[in-house]
Amino acid sequence: MTKNLRLTLAMVLVVILAMIGLITINRNRADTPRAAADAGQPVDPAVLVRADSHRLSTAADGKVTLVEFLDFECEACGAVYPAIEEIRDTYGDRITFVVRYFPIPSHPNAELAARAAQAAANQDRFPQMYATLFENQESWGHQRTPQTERFVEYARTIGLDVDRFQRDLDDPATAERVARDRADGETAGVQGTPTFFLNGRQLTEIRTQADMIAAIDAALAG
Amino acid sequence: MSAVLDRPATETPGEDGFLARVTAWVLAVGGAVGLLAATTLTVEKINLLADPDYVPSCSINPVLSCGSVMNTAQAAAFGIPNPLLGIAGFAVVTTLGVLLLARVRLPGWTWLGLQAGATFGVVFVHWLIYQSLYVIGALCPYCMVVWVVTIAIFLYTTLHNLRRLRPSSRLAALASYHSFLLVTWYVVIALAILIRFWDYWSTLL
Repeated sequence: MTKNLRLTLAMVLVVILAMIGLITINRNRADTPRAAADAGQPVDPAVLVRADSHRLSTAADGKVTLVEFLDFECEACGAVYPAIEEIRDTYGDRITFVVRYFPIPSHPNAELAARAAQAAANQDRFPQMYATLFENQESWGHQRTPQTERFVEYARTIGLDVDRFQRDLDDPATAERVARDRADGETAGVQGTPTFFLNGRQLTEIRTQADMIAAIDAALAG
Repeated sequence: MSAVLDRPATETPGEDGFLARVTAWVLAVGGAVGLLAATTLTVEKINLLADPDYVPSCSINPVLSCGSVMNTAQAAAFGIPNPLLGIAGFAVVTTLGVLLLARVRLPGWTWLGLQAGATFGVVFVHWLIYQSLYVIGALCPYCMVVWVVTIAIFLYTTLHNLRRLRPSSRLAALASYHSFLLVTWYVVIALAILIRFWDYWSTLL
């Protein structure tokens, strides 16, 4: 074997080992909060649901609360959106469903979308903006340029005061409101989106809509 | 007569001959792969021009996305779309590579011309890597294929020319470590990508 070949193979080996190391470290880190949640340490309800958090439905008995940390630009969130809508239809006001912002920094318009939703919330139209953003995710997601104009158009469509919407969109208070949600998510151990909490416990084993329904039914029965 | 024709173009046996063969393969295969990537990018660019809502086949997620990269000013740095430069350049590289594989002895000035082209290519590609990572903030998979082959083409062309023109120089001695140099070069760029988009990669692991 030539020296060149030995060095090359050594370099490749080092890279492979480093990758394995990184993945292992990441797995272990990711497992820690999950393990804590599985071990039955629910997250403080005050962190998961603030007074100003957006409730899409409110259960009178307050027995079951489902909290979703989401990013309007995240594809997985867009993918679970129809399933969540069906669940909301099915359960209506038997469960409290809370939406929290958790924009991921690598999604270029996620933070802006969260601010758009918050600006709509200021005019009591959060549910409409929430639905519009997800239903049109394919057209505004993946775009490198700020989608402000498109969001203003959505605001007009759902009947918002457009001037006020634009002011609120740029208001630092709106950005702070989004950042507070994200900070709560981090405190609660959210690492990606969507992350669901059912009665304070992070749902980690949910793969399908049926799993989610089973978990909610169990909580309603319990 | 046939014995003369069959004799390899490179006179020196051993390592030099081996390196010449590797260079020929890198040019032929690297050129062809680069040509394929540039062609695909051109077709995607045309689709995108015809339909602004078209989502290119390589727009997989926010980080791996050619749609957003192709729509930037950097994607037509010299006034015409970059992939058109690629089609022209890689076609020449492939042709030269295939000729070398057929053991045609190229005139010296061809190698200098190739050196000029490859040097321009590698500088341009590194500017594009910088733009892609730190200005645009997205990676376009087909473009990355071009990065990979351009670096290989430049490295092997340069080492070949060093061996040819300055056989006893220190730099020419580097040619003995050709694949180590190539892998190290790739690792540096891979590290830059890993660090730059760590937020994103860590959600996948």
